[in-house]
Amino acid sequence: MSVTIKSRDEILAYLRQILVELFELKPEQIVPEANLYTDLDIDSIDAVDLILKLKDLTGRKIQPQTFKNVRTVGDVVDAIEVLLANPA
Amino acid sequence: MSTIRKLNHVWRIFATGFVFVMFGLGALFISLTVFPVLRLVSRHPEAARRRIQRAMQTTMWLFMELMRVLGILTYRVEGLERLNVPGRLVVANHPTLIDVVMLVSLMPAVDCIVKRGLWRNPFLRWPVLWAGYLPNSEGEELVEACASTLRKGNSLLVFPEGTRTVPGEPLRMQRGAAHIALAADAELLPVTIACDPPTLFKGNPWWRVPAHRFHLQVNVGAPLAAASFRREGEAGSRAARRLTEWMRTHFDSTRLAAPVSTWMELEHPERPGLIEGGSPLRG
Repeated sequence: MSVTIKSRDEILAYLRQILVELFELKPEQIVPEANLYTDLDIDSIDAVDLILKLKDLTGRKIQPQTFKNVRTVGDVVDAIEVLLANPA
Repeated sequence: MSTIRKLNHVWRIFATGFVFVMFGLGALFISLTVFPVLRLVSRHPEAARRRIQRAMQTTMWLFMELMRVLGILTYRVEGLERLNVPGRLVVANHPTLIDVVMLVSLMPAVDCIVKRGLWRNPFLRWPVLWAGYLPNSEGEELVEACASTLRKGNSLLVFPEGTRTVPGEPLRMQRGAAHIALAADAELLPVTIACDPPTLFKGNPWWRVPAHRFHLQVNVGAPLAAASFRREGEAGSRAARRLTEWMRTHFDSTRLAAPVSTWMELEHPERPGLIEGGSPLRG
């Protein structure tokens, strides 16, 4: 259990880093409840850049449908977690 | 209100309604006559496209002139020659319903983004297809289609706000225009439109005409390269944010400061016609 929590925190930390780098956001804005579109003003083209970055992290191709239902930062963390737990 | 002003008011309501009806009927008419003929006489689709875009300019110019002659509006354009350089992404603020009519009337060739529903309309699907207009698909697909036509050397008209401005509210820019400019490495041509008194804005019905005929002032700004917003070793999404912020500031500082001639001055115009650089149909 503690391993999972630690890795979730690590995923969030990494995600925070790339969101700040890509979209000029403040680190404190990147909380699990933050909505990507309304709170962080990330549009669909930005989302493409984000998915490319996440490909580097997970080391595998990300299907667009993986992110279809993603709304919040927490959803992204969940999606990455699933990707990392299920090696292709 | 004097009797003359009352009559003028009623006249402008009637004239505006008439122009709306003419616009609808005219669009249908030329879609069934002029455009198919232009397509048939053109061997190559590219030639048809050029001719149809040119015909679109003439048609829109006729509508502008119709509205001017009927006393609905006056208009004036500064920097018209900048609109005649191809391959540019023309970005404009969007105060009124007729901004697109105004701008298309000034450009011999320009691609426009139109409602994708038109591609399912049995009458209008062919004209938009032949004209090479772009359906308003979403996200990456639209950005790529727009960038692609710019790379081919065509000009493209985009309203970065995505919809008409709500008067009295700050400008709200979408980032699509910036994404397109950066994807195509295009030159950006900012065009500021000012409408005085405000009319045909978002949420204002056509029959609520202003107290006196309105004036549309179009100021074409200096072109600038989208590439100048890029920084070495930085994600494109940041450049898009900077470029969008530049547009917001630019339009915010110019849209109300634009030299809008007042109605009183226009009652005695020095130069009738009011187009800087002459009619777009000449030359």
